[in-house]
Amino acid sequence: MESDLSNLLSVSVDFETSHLFFPTIINWVMAGLFLVILVTKLIPFLAAVKRGERTLPILGESMDTRRFFGTLVLIVAYFYLMVVVGDLFPYTGYGFLFVSMAFVLLMSLLYLHEWTKKALAIVAVNAVVAPSLAWFVLAKLFTITLP
Amino acid sequence: MDFLSLLDISFFLLVAFGALVGIIFGAIPGMTATMAVAVCLPLTYALGLNHGLALLLGLYVGGISGGMVPAVLLNIPGTPSSITTTFDGYPMAQKGEGERALRVCVIASVIGGLVSAAILFLFAPLLADFSIKFSYVEKFLIILLALSVIASLSSNMLIGIFSGVLGIWLSLIGDYSTTDGGNGKTRLMFDFMEPYLFEGFSLLPVLIGIFGISTILLEAEKGVRSELSSSRMVIGKAAGVLSLFKGRLTNLVRSSFIGTFVGMLPGVGGSAASVLAYTQEKNLARDSSQMGKGAPQGLIASESANNALTGGALIPLLSLGIPGDSTTAVLIGAFTLQGIQVGPLFIPENADTWYVMIVALVFANFVMFFLMFFAIKHIAKVVMVPKHILYPIIVMMCVVGAYAINYGIMFDVWTLLIFGVFGWLIQKIGLEVAPLIIGFILGSQAEVYFVKSLESAGTLSTFFTKSPIAVVLWLLILASVVFSVVMSLKSRAKGRQEVLS
Repeated sequence: MESDLSNLLSVSVDFETSHLFFPTIINWVMAGLFLVILVTKLIPFLAAVKRGERTLPILGESMDTRRFFGTLVLIVAYFYLMVVVGDLFPYTGYGFLFVSMAFVLLMSLLYLHEWTKKALAIVAVNAVVAPSLAWFVLAKLFTITLP
Repeated sequence: MDFLSLLDISFFLLVAFGALVGIIFGAIPGMTATMAVAVCLPLTYALGLNHGLALLLGLYVGGISGGMVPAVLLNIPGTPSSITTTFDGYPMAQKGEGERALRVCVIASVIGGLVSAAILFLFAPLLADFSIKFSYVEKFLIILLALSVIASLSSNMLIGIFSGVLGIWLSLIGDYSTTDGGNGKTRLMFDFMEPYLFEGFSLLPVLIGIFGISTILLEAEKGVRSELSSSRMVIGKAAGVLSLFKGRLTNLVRSSFIGTFVGMLPGVGGSAASVLAYTQEKNLARDSSQMGKGAPQGLIASESANNALTGGALIPLLSLGIPGDSTTAVLIGAFTLQGIQVGPLFIPENADTWYVMIVALVFANFVMFFLMFFAIKHIAKVVMVPKHILYPIIVMMCVVGAYAINYGIMFDVWTLLIFGVFGWLIQKIGLEVAPLIIGFILGSQAEVYFVKSLESAGTLSTFFTKSPIAVVLWLLILASVVFSVVMSLKSRAKGRQEVLS
C-alpha cells in the first residue's frame, strides 16, 4: 500500500524537456480554473446579459472612442517615429526629444475639452518645455540612453 | 555605523523631493503611489542604489499620504487606500473644517508610518534570519502561501487565483535559464518571437505598462474629463487639531498595527488596510455613532492604517523577496536594476543599504508630515492640475523608463504598450491586477524551486515531508483557503438575508 503511494508520488524530470515541465502544469491548472470560472461565473453572466440584466464589458459600455483610439494611435506613432527620427541623429536623443514634443502637443490637444486661447498657449508651452526638460535632465545630466 | 557616511545632503534632498512628488501624484485622483514610483524609476538609473532608494521610498510614503487631499476636499479618494478617508473627511470639509481634517490625517499618517518603520526594523531581520535556512521546498511553499493569501483576500477567490496563475504563465515565457540550472530552451512562444522574447518580458516595462499606460487608457476611455472646479474645494479652518486625538491612542496604535499586518500580506493593497482598520474602529469604539458623518476617529483609523502599510509591505520584500503590495513590486524592479537580489540574504549582505532604507523611510515620514502639515493649503491646489497636461508627460516618462532599462532596447518600449493594453483589458473584464503582478514576479522563481525540489527528491511527497516548516506552511495555506471559503459563505448568507428582508 505504502509502496503504491510512493510510486504514485514519484516523479522524474527529464533534463532535455525540463523547460516544459512546470509550464505544462501551469497550463493545466489555468485550463481547469478557466473551466470552473466558465461554469460558475461566465455562463451565468452571459445568461444575465441575454436577459438584459447586465451589460458586456467594453462592447456594452459607452466609450469615448475618439479619445481612446486616438490615444492608441498616437502611442503607436510615437513609439515608431521615435526610432525613425532617432536614426537620423544617432546617439543624441533627438529622436526622443522631437517626437516627444509632437506627441505631447497632440495628446494634450486630444484630451483638451475646451479650446480656449489660454489653454492652447499652456498646452503649446508644455509641449516644448516638458520634453526639453526631460531630455536635458535624463540624456545630458544623467547620460541615460534615449532613442 | 559605516552607513552614516552614505547619508550626504543629496540623500536627504532626494527623499524630500521624492516625498513632495509622491504627495502630488497621490493627490491627483487616478494617479497612485505605484505609478509615481514606476514613472520616476528612470531618474534612479544614474543615482546608484542608496540614492535611488532614497528617492523611491520618499515617493512611496508621499504617494500613499497624498491620497488624503482629494479624499477630504472633494470626496474622491486620490489613491485606493484613502477610500475610507472620504467617509469622515468630506463631511468635515463640508462643515468648513477641511484643513482641520487634513491635519488630523497628517498626524495619523506620520504615526502610522513611524510605527510600521519600527516594526519593519525589528521584524524583517528576524524573518530573514529564519528564512535563510529554507531549502527549495520551503521557498516554493512560501510562494504558494503568498499566492493563496492574495487569492483568498481578493474580492473573488477564484478570479484571484486565476489572475495569479495567469501572472505565473506570463513569467514563464522565454527560456528556462541555464543560470537557474535550466536547459536554456524556450517555451510558450513561436519561433519568430525568439529574438525579442528569449529572456521573456522584462519586469519593469511590464509593471510600467500595467500601472502607467493602462491607467491612461482607462481614463481616455472615459473621455479624460476633469469635473473638478476650484469652487467645489473648500479648505476651511484648522484650529484645535491635537485635542481631537485625546482618548484616541488605542485607535491610533491598533490601526497602525492593522496597517502593518495587512501590508505584510502579499498583494493586498492599502484599501484593505484602511477598510479593516475603519471597520475595527467602528466595531470596537465606545461611541461610533458619528462615524461616516465627520468623526475624526474615522480619519485616524483610515490614515494611520494606510501609511502603516508602507513599512509592512517592505517586510516580506526584504526578508523573503516577496513584494507586499504593487508599489513594493516595482521596488523589486529597482533592486534588480542595481544588480541586487532581494531575499533572505539581502539584510545580512547589504547591512548598510538596509540601514539607509530605514533612515530614508523615517525621514520620508517626517518630510511628508512637515510638507503636509504646514503647506497643505498650497499642495491642495495640485488636485486641479489638468490631466491633458499630465498624461502626455506620464507616457513620455514611461517610455524613458522602459527604453533605458536594458540600455536601449526598443522592444521594451513596445512591451509597455502590449501590457498597457493588456492591463486595461484585464481590468475591464474583471481580473485582478495585484495577484497577476505578484504571480508574474514570483513565477519564474516558483518554477526553479519546484523543478529543482523534484529533481533532487524524485517524489512529490518531499513537499509535505521535507521539514516541520513545510508542514506549518501547508497548514497556513490551508487556513487561508478555509478563511476565504468561510468569508464567501458568510457574505453569501448576508446577501440572502438582505434579499429576504
